[in-house]
Amino acid sequence: MGKTMIEKIMRRSSGKEIKVGERIWCNIDLSTARDFGGANCVLQFEEVTDKKGKVWNPDKVAFTFDLQAPSHSEKVSVNQKIIREFAKQQGIKKVFDVNWGIGQHVLLENGLVKPGDVILGTDSHMNLLGAVGAFATGVGNTDIVASWFEGTNWFRVPETMKVTVNGSFKKGVCMRDLLTHIVGTLGADGMFFMSVEFYGDTIERSSLSDRITLCSMVTEMSGKVGLIMPNGKVLDWLVERAGKEVLDRVKTLSADPDAVYCQELVFNVDDLEPMTSCPDAPDNVKKVREVAGAHVDQVHIGSCSNGRFEDISAAFEVLKAANFKIAPGMRAIVTPATREVMKQCAEAGYIQKFLEAGIIFTNPTCALCTAEHFGTLPSGDVGMSTTNRNFIGKVGKGSHTYLASPMTAMATAVRGKVTDPRDILG
Amino acid sequence: MDKTILRGRAWVFNDDVDTDLIYHNKYLAETDPKNMPKYSFEYFPGKENFAKEVKEGDFVVAGTNFGCGSSREHAVYCLKYAGVPVILAESFSRIYYRNAINNGYPVLFVKGLSQAIKDGKIKDGDELEVNLLKGEIKDVTNGNTFHGDAVADLEKDIMKAGGLIEYLKEKAEEKKK
Repeated sequence: MGKTMIEKIMRRSSGKEIKVGERIWCNIDLSTARDFGGANCVLQFEEVTDKKGKVWNPDKVAFTFDLQAPSHSEKVSVNQKIIREFAKQQGIKKVFDVNWGIGQHVLLENGLVKPGDVILGTDSHMNLLGAVGAFATGVGNTDIVASWFEGTNWFRVPETMKVTVNGSFKKGVCMRDLLTHIVGTLGADGMFFMSVEFYGDTIERSSLSDRITLCSMVTEMSGKVGLIMPNGKVLDWLVERAGKEVLDRVKTLSADPDAVYCQELVFNVDDLEPMTSCPDAPDNVKKVREVAGAHVDQVHIGSCSNGRFEDISAAFEVLKAANFKIAPGMRAIVTPATREVMKQCAEAGYIQKFLEAGIIFTNPTCALCTAEHFGTLPSGDVGMSTTNRNFIGKVGKGSHTYLASPMTAMATAVRGKVTDPRDILG
Repeated sequence: MDKTILRGRAWVFNDDVDTDLIYHNKYLAETDPKNMPKYSFEYFPGKENFAKEVKEGDFVVAGTNFGCGSSREHAVYCLKYAGVPVILAESFSRIYYRNAINNGYPVLFVKGLSQAIKDGKIKDGDELEVNLLKGEIKDVTNGNTFHGDAVADLEKDIMKAGGLIEYLKEKAEEKKK
C-alpha cells in the first residue's frame, strides 16, 4: 500500500514504520519560538530545569521576532531581552531579531527549511512551510520546552486529504480567492486534524508566494499541515538556499501514486471570482461583488499569508490602474513579510509610489494580526485585510474585518468601499 | 468527597470558539500563567463578565472545534488557573487539544453537545454533575444526561503523569534505572 507525504515524513523522522492514528515520537529538525511565546518558553524551561538545562542542540533552535518588531511596549521589550540573553547563554546563533521580518518566511529565505523537515514554532501558521514540503506545526510553549530536552516530540499520524486544483485564474483573481473559496466550502473544521496534499496544474505552475498563501490557510480549517513538494522554479529557488539535499528529499518523500487518502476534492479556478471572508469568521465567505459597496475605513496588505513580493506587486498593479490614487480618508497600510521582500519593493520603485499615494509602507512584521500593533481598529470601524483571521474584535474590540486578496484589498483602498478589483483592472 | 464526581455551574459556548475569544491577543505578552485568568473571555460578546463571575469548579461547555486559531497556551492556562476543572466540548481544535494534554488539563469529548447547546438542552448557569471516571455528565437543572469520552492512547499516559514535561522526566528517570 502506498504512502502519503506525511506518512513518509513521519516514517523518516520517527525511524519506524507507522500507521494512521498512531502516536509516535519524531525527531525535531528545528524548534523555534517568536517574541510571542518565546519568553514563556524560556521561563518555563528555566523553571523545570532549575536553570541548569541545556537545549539538546543549539544549532536546531531558532528565535524570530515578528509580533512586535521593533517592540513598542515595555512588556514585549522585556520578553525580547529574555530571549536574547537565553540564546547567548545557550549558544543559540539563529536569532532573527526585530529587523528581519515574519519568522517562517525568514527561516525559509535563510535556507533553514527543507522538504521533510519537522519544525515546531509558537505560531499557528508555522505550517505554511508545507509550501516547500516541510512538516511544520504551530504549538504552545510546553511543546517547545519539551522538544528542547532531547529534540523529540509526540504526534498523531494524521489522515491525508488530497486537493486537486486545475485551470487558470482570470485577471483580478488569484490563489487567495481560491483559498477563501475552499475555506467557505469546507468550513472552520473542514480539514480537522488532517494533513492535506495539493496537486493539479494550477499548483504545479504556482509561485512560492502562492503556495505559501494556500498552505497558510490550512490552519483556518483546523488542518495539521498543507503539503506541496517543490517543483520547477520553486525547487530551483529552494536548492539555491537550502542546498542539494533538497533534491534527494523531494525524491524520497513525494507521495506514492497509490497512496491512500481519506478524502479527495477537485477544484477548477477558470471561472473563480474574487472572494472575501466577511465579518466575523474566515468561513463566512461571499463573492466580493455580493458585498461590493460596503464601507471600509482601513485596508491592510501583508501578513504571513499575503506579504510576499508577488502579493505586493499584485496590489501595486491595481493602484497603478487607478492612477496611483486612493480614496480620501482611507487609511491604507502595506507591510512586507521580510526585509528581503522590502528590498525587492524598494528596487522595483513601489515604495516611492505607495508613499506618494498616501499609503503607509511599514517595516517587515506580522503587523495587523493582533490588536497590539499599529493600525488597531476602534469600535465600529471596518477593516479589510489580507491576514488570515477576522474573528470578532481580533484587531480591536467592536471592530470588524473583511479578509481578501491583495488585489481586492487595494481596489477597496482605491474606492473606499469593498470593490471587485476587476472594476479597476478592467 | 469523591473527587471523580464534580459539581458546578455551566458556562455554555457555541461552535468554533477561537483563542482570541478565550484569551485575546492584546494580553499575549503575559508570561505568568497565574495572571492569565483575569482576561478569560473578555472579548466574547455576552461573556465579558466570565473572569469576574467564574467560581472554582464551574465548567466550560462548548460545541465543536473549541480553541481554534492561535497556538497560545495562555488560552489553556487562563481556564485552568481560573479553577475550571475540565472542559466539556463536542470536539477540540488540534493545538488547543495538545496544549491541554501537555498541561495535564482534562478535556472530555462529549457526543451531541453541539446540537444540545443549539437546542437549549444545556444552558448557562445549569448545575452539572460530572463523573470523570464514567464520562457521565448530568444536567441536574433539567435532567438531561450526556456521555463524554476521556482521552486515550499516549495522551492518557501524559495526563496520568500530570503533563508532557512530567511525562518526559518520568521517562528519563526510568532510563537511568
